[in-house]
Amino acid sequence: MLIRLTGGEIIDPVNGQSGKRDLWIQDGFIVDKPEGERADKTYDLSGCIVMAGAIDIHSHIGGGNVNTARLLLPEQHAAHLPRPADTPLSNAGWSTFTTGCLYAQMGFTTVVEPAMSPYNALHTHLELADIPIIDKATLTILGNDDFLLSLIRDKTSSDMMDDYVAWTLASTHSLGVKVINAGAAAAFKENVRAFSFDDVVPAYGVSSRKIVKTLQASVNRLGVPHPLHVHANNLGIAGSADTASVTIDATEGVPLHLAHLQFYGYGTEGKRKFSSEAARLAEQVNNNPDVTIDVGQVMFGQTVTISSDITRQFLAIGNANPKKTVIIDGDGNGGGIVPYRYKKNFYGSLQWAVGLELFLLIDDPWRVFFTTDHPNGAPFTSYPELFELLMSRDARDAKTAELNASALELTTLGSLRREYTLDEIAIMTRAAPARLLGLKDRGHLGSGAIADIAVYRRGRDIAGMFREAALVFKNGELVVENGKVVHLRWGKALRLKPTPDKAMVRRMQAYHEERYGLSLDWFTFPDSAIQRDEPFAEVSCSS
Amino acid sequence: MKALTFTLRAQPEERLDLSALIPDRLDGMSVAEIAKLRIGTSRRPALVGDIFKIRGENRSHIIFDGGSRRFDRVGAGMSGGMLFVAGDAGAQAGRRMSGGMLVIEDNCGPHAGSGMAGGRLEILGNSGDYLAGPLAGEMLGMEGGVLIVRGKAGHYAGDRMRRGVLAILKGCGDYAGSRMIAGSIVVTGRVGAMPGYLMKRGSLLFDRRPETISPTFIDCGRTDIAFSGLFDRYLIDDKILDKPLLGRKPGKYGGDNAVLGKGEILFRMGR
Repeated sequence: MLIRLTGGEIIDPVNGQSGKRDLWIQDGFIVDKPEGERADKTYDLSGCIVMAGAIDIHSHIGGGNVNTARLLLPEQHAAHLPRPADTPLSNAGWSTFTTGCLYAQMGFTTVVEPAMSPYNALHTHLELADIPIIDKATLTILGNDDFLLSLIRDKTSSDMMDDYVAWTLASTHSLGVKVINAGAAAAFKENVRAFSFDDVVPAYGVSSRKIVKTLQASVNRLGVPHPLHVHANNLGIAGSADTASVTIDATEGVPLHLAHLQFYGYGTEGKRKFSSEAARLAEQVNNNPDVTIDVGQVMFGQTVTISSDITRQFLAIGNANPKKTVIIDGDGNGGGIVPYRYKKNFYGSLQWAVGLELFLLIDDPWRVFFTTDHPNGAPFTSYPELFELLMSRDARDAKTAELNASALELTTLGSLRREYTLDEIAIMTRAAPARLLGLKDRGHLGSGAIADIAVYRRGRDIAGMFREAALVFKNGELVVENGKVVHLRWGKALRLKPTPDKAMVRRMQAYHEERYGLSLDWFTFPDSAIQRDEPFAEVSCSS
Repeated sequence: MKALTFTLRAQPEERLDLSALIPDRLDGMSVAEIAKLRIGTSRRPALVGDIFKIRGENRSHIIFDGGSRRFDRVGAGMSGGMLFVAGDAGAQAGRRMSGGMLVIEDNCGPHAGSGMAGGRLEILGNSGDYLAGPLAGEMLGMEGGVLIVRGKAGHYAGDRMRRGVLAILKGCGDYAGSRMIAGSIVVTGRVGAMPGYLMKRGSLLFDRRPETISPTFIDCGRTDIAFSGLFDRYLIDDKILDKPLLGRKPGKYGGDNAVLGKGEILFRMGR
């Protein structure tokens, strides 16, 4: 079927062709205008803007920890009643079904679950396969696992290291590697409760820096498109800006992605010893082209923090609201679920401002990514309000008036007059994520790209515009009309597929037999375990 | 003014959510408006007028003439006025009520008085499980007020109770006062297994020694305290009981030492 979108304003910074033109869709792809053919279906998009489908690079939407959070907070299901019209009877709030629908309604077509524990891979992929409409991908967690730490301790060759990383990527069907508070979860098992970048893991004698550098080098050598995704040490602690700062300095010419930098933007100034260091970090990011960051913006209200950073979550137990938590001191990272309510008090206001400072002070929209670290800073449903804050000074000023003034005095937010343009939004949420993840077939509207297209009706209410897309196409299929899902389909999970080294497979078999007394088959799974036609799609490595 | 009366036409064919029919929400509404409120919960939900004949004008004094086990959430969220049910009620009667008086003249289902914070709830028949207890995932059960069951209560009565007085007059099921945080639970009659299971603080007050108790409770012998006399007098003055419950020098268990261990089970000796 040939579809023509006409009359809309195309925002496509990659191809440099913003302005009014027609888009043609054939067989799920964007094509050049076919000569001598007539469209089977034409949509008149006058008064609308047209962007590629948005890509979220860091949102916890599936896996063991997400599911544990659901179990911990069943009252969220009651809060979801009365059930919205026309949803399946078995559906409650916060399900895989609503995740896919809500993302699609906002024009998002690809979402990355950034923290999949290797031993949770099957569960995670089963859950992702149950999320309708959108494409998904995962980052697999390494860096606190005994096997890797032992390799580093024993000064194993870099080839062996690469083989292990490649085997993990292949067996967990993921798109990249994440390291979470490198070494701290291993040290936690030895009762260490504070862990910084140059601290050493007991029993292994390996520093956090060494782990990060080793993984970063391996990822780079393997040609994994997405640079090592680093969740740094000391998240959320006053003074954590110093940790982020040394981590940024440690890139040494190799790409590195720093996740949810907002949670590291804190200094120790002021009466409460809690202040903003966002300006310093932003300048450092501006001066270091190796580093990309996502923000992890905080918005106000009830949420639940879900993290495999067990050290951090353990220390946060006292702040839980409501007062209940799950802490799992599990293999590798373990994890922690701590519900939290961001209030408009001093601390909440400061965190909110730090995130916005980072957005506004980092000049290059290709290197700063749009996240709330869902659900840690805020649920992804708050994205439209955040777009509005970035695009409108007035919206920021209005919000600022509601917040704690003494907190905002410790930030530079009041002096920042920048407003994001639609082009910059398109870069930050479409073009740059596609490039960062190595997804050449999306994030732009050029000929040959997958027809993932979001159409928004231009209006004065920016949040409203982004909350309910006028039309959304996923692979050329119309899935959303006027902010409502009109068609359910199943997306794919994007993965790299490196061929694992045979000697490494044998070694992993021996390791699992010896360590767990279980066959390696317990930990790996074939594609057929996911009961969908073609559950995966391959992304190529860049070497 | 005559009480606003909802006379049941026939037993309802679906579960009803009656939380809309409380003094706070009916204040200022005409009978016609009330008749159009949706109370059914099925695909084709019933309206008030389908189920009840409506008479009377006093919006702060409501009577249900005839009840049903399908009457869910009767009096839920009420903060004042009076509400009588001449018959049975279903689940979550008086849930989250914060004031006023709710009387159910017959039996009611589970989660009666769930999370109530104030007011007085009286059930003249028996109540189901989780009396005054929280719904799944909630942190607190009863947080205040007075809840009286003149008949029997089911299992887990007073689960996660935080404050207030809960009185059960004809015995209760297992795990009375489980996970209790604070407050007082009075039971006359036979108490099931493991009362006070995982209670942190609070008082369980019985008219006899409990038959089975968690081994993490400690027998403290007889106690000579002013509290028993004081509380006995309160129960009689408040028309909850007609004779003293604990008497002088009640027996005491302390626990549950599996958790904080600051709770107590006081019971009348010599019976």
